Amino acid sequence: MTRLWGIVLNWIAVGLAEDIPVGTVVPRRVDGLDLAIWRSGLGRFHAWDDRCPHRGMRLSHGFVRGEVLACVYHGWQYNLDGACDYIPAHPDLTPPKTICANTYVCETRNQALWVALGTVNGDVPDIGDRIPIRSLDISCGAPAIARYFDHPQDPLIVLRGKYDLAIALQPSTSRSCFAHVFAGAGQDKKIVSRYVEKLRDELEAA
Amino acid sequence: MILYDYVLSASCYKIRLMAALSGQKLELQAVNFHPAREHKSPEMLKLNPGGTLPILRDEDLIMTDSSDMLRHLTRNLPEWQGDDDGWLDFARTLNETLGMARLHDVLGFEVDIDAARKRGVHLLRLLEAHLTEQRFDGMIFLTGDTPTIADIACFPNTALAPDGGVSLDVYPSIRLWMRALRSLPGFIEMPGIHRLHELEAAE
Amino acid sequence: MSDSSKDHWYPVGLLSDIYTPRQTLLFDQEISLTHDDTGFVVKKSGGVSLPTIERFGHLWTSLGQPDHDLFVIPEADTPGRHLVDVGSVKVKCSPLRAVENFLDIAHFPFIHTDILGAEPHTEVDRYKVEIREGVNEVWATKVKFFQPQAAKSAEGGIITEYMYRVPAPTCAVLYKTCPPRPKEWDIITLFVQPLTEEWCEVWPWMALYDDDSTMAEMVSFQQLIFMQDRSILENQIPLKLPLDPGMETPTQADMTSVAYRRWLKRIGYSYGAQMVAA
Repeated sequence: MTRLWGIVLNWIAVGLAEDIPVGTVVPRRVDGLDLAIWRSGLGRFHAWDDRCPHRGMRLSHGFVRGEVLACVYHGWQYNLDGACDYIPAHPDLTPPKTICANTYVCETRNQALWVALGTVNGDVPDIGDRIPIRSLDISCGAPAIARYFDHPQDPLIVLRGKYDLAIALQPSTSRSCFAHVFAGAGQDKKIVSRYVEKLRDELEAA
Repeated sequence: MILYDYVLSASCYKIRLMAALSGQKLELQAVNFHPAREHKSPEMLKLNPGGTLPILRDEDLIMTDSSDMLRHLTRNLPEWQGDDDGWLDFARTLNETLGMARLHDVLGFEVDIDAARKRGVHLLRLLEAHLTEQRFDGMIFLTGDTPTIADIACFPNTALAPDGGVSLDVYPSIRLWMRALRSLPGFIEMPGIHRLHELEAAE
Repeated sequence: MSDSSKDHWYPVGLLSDIYTPRQTLLFDQEISLTHDDTGFVVKKSGGVSLPTIERFGHLWTSLGQPDHDLFVIPEADTPGRHLVDVGSVKVKCSPLRAVENFLDIAHFPFIHTDILGAEPHTEVDRYKVEIREGVNEVWATKVKFFQPQAAKSAEGGIITEYMYRVPAPTCAVLYKTCPPRPKEWDIITLFVQPLTEEWCEVWPWMALYDDDSTMAEMVSFQQLIFMQDRSILENQIPLKLPLDPGMETPTQADMTSVAYRRWLKRIGYSYGAQMVAA
């Protein structure tokens, strides 16, 4: 569980599955905590601290080779459990088990990607049969956004106005969010995308 | 063709990259832009009174505008041409904002850094919105499903934005577009834009 | 914090760059560099003049009371070398992170790919590291590493030998195999000006035997190498250099860095260092 905005959150949205293709890694920030989210060759998602235990380099700058994530600085490779299993400077060495990236639980459901920063408690939120539109940053704190829509501070803000929208807010910092937007099937993606940009302009101006 | 080149210049890199991707050989003439300001030397001003880099010389033809150079390099390569004009202008504004922020942060140029970054972020949002719509239509590049000089013109200053203190973390479509460009056969890197190490293992 | 950090000499400008007066920072304090008939003048913002030394193509100054002369590099004085002012690059990281990265070879295949290193030649053999007591410097010798292209004219890779020397807390000198003159070493330095604890200006300087390259090519090459490192340095967490073990995990290849951190602690150098594990 994670305490954010004065409430307890079990799951925090960190993106759309289609934005993180197989074999890639991206950075995400949750309440100031930097995460590296990566997808292995077989398609599994992983969420780790964005920091290589060797020299503190951001793992999100690294590269995926099959089922390992490698740090770009010295090429240290970490397996699916987060354990370092290869150090290129010492190819014959079996790295000690203590060299390990800090890992979090990461789940996908209906193309939405969620992480649990603490103990997993409860199901991953359900966006229903909506389709992913896009993720966009908003220079506004999450409470201000919920207030603007007159919506409770839930992991998922569901709007049933002009468009059927579900917005999962990733609170990056106290003053910014990464908003992951889903829309009811059958709606034009471009029109919805432009509509949420307009919403962003309104929020940032408010 | 001779390219008067500065290794850290995003605009010079556009030309090196375009030549590499289209399999054309450039003779590189290194210019000591920093710290010696050689691009302002009498010899260089004779070539380009504007005192800027890059300069591309193809026999008697001397070009000092990177858009002209991209057009020249692809004049016989229709596959690299698209609806490029607007994007070449856009690339110019990227250079005036993100490019200047980078020169400020790296080489200490005097720039209104907050304004440069703010305008740069605005441009990145426009670029992200366009590339997102392209992806809705199943296309990854700026003007279609193959790259053109529009992509090559906009790529360097976008990819180097972090050098000037502007993060690219929140632009999924820009990141996928940059990755598609870095995956192209013949891609060459520059400092701040590294190659895809994952591809090497696959070879 | 009372420490020895200010009692050293720091690079603040290029001697060849007399075009404009320069305003800069040293240890968070504004200083100005001007040039008059008598030479260079460095002043604090209140007008107090600071001592200067002109050496290795750079102007050096100190905010404290250095009880020692700036170090020397006798090898750089041998005739026939090209002295290369590479100019400065600003980096948002601790000055100490910049030096430590310069002492590291294991990153060559990944950050300076196909130039200073290349997969699969990633192994770092054991080398010798010592803190030389008399001169109070960190030295690493017998460092050998596969280099894919040692010189412009070179075909294929060679094993290049390196010696690293840390003569001052924010300065490092690299002695490197010199292909045209096998009995001599090329000299490549990294002089770092601490602007703040998490922001520095890096002044590489070189004394090379190279009759094939133009000055612009030598400058470009070193700027290319350093700018490849810059994106690493701005993305290490924390930006300061942790001196206490526990936060980061060294291996045998990192012996130079381990000695460097230990030496900084021993001489009481804390500016840009993270002393307590966060």
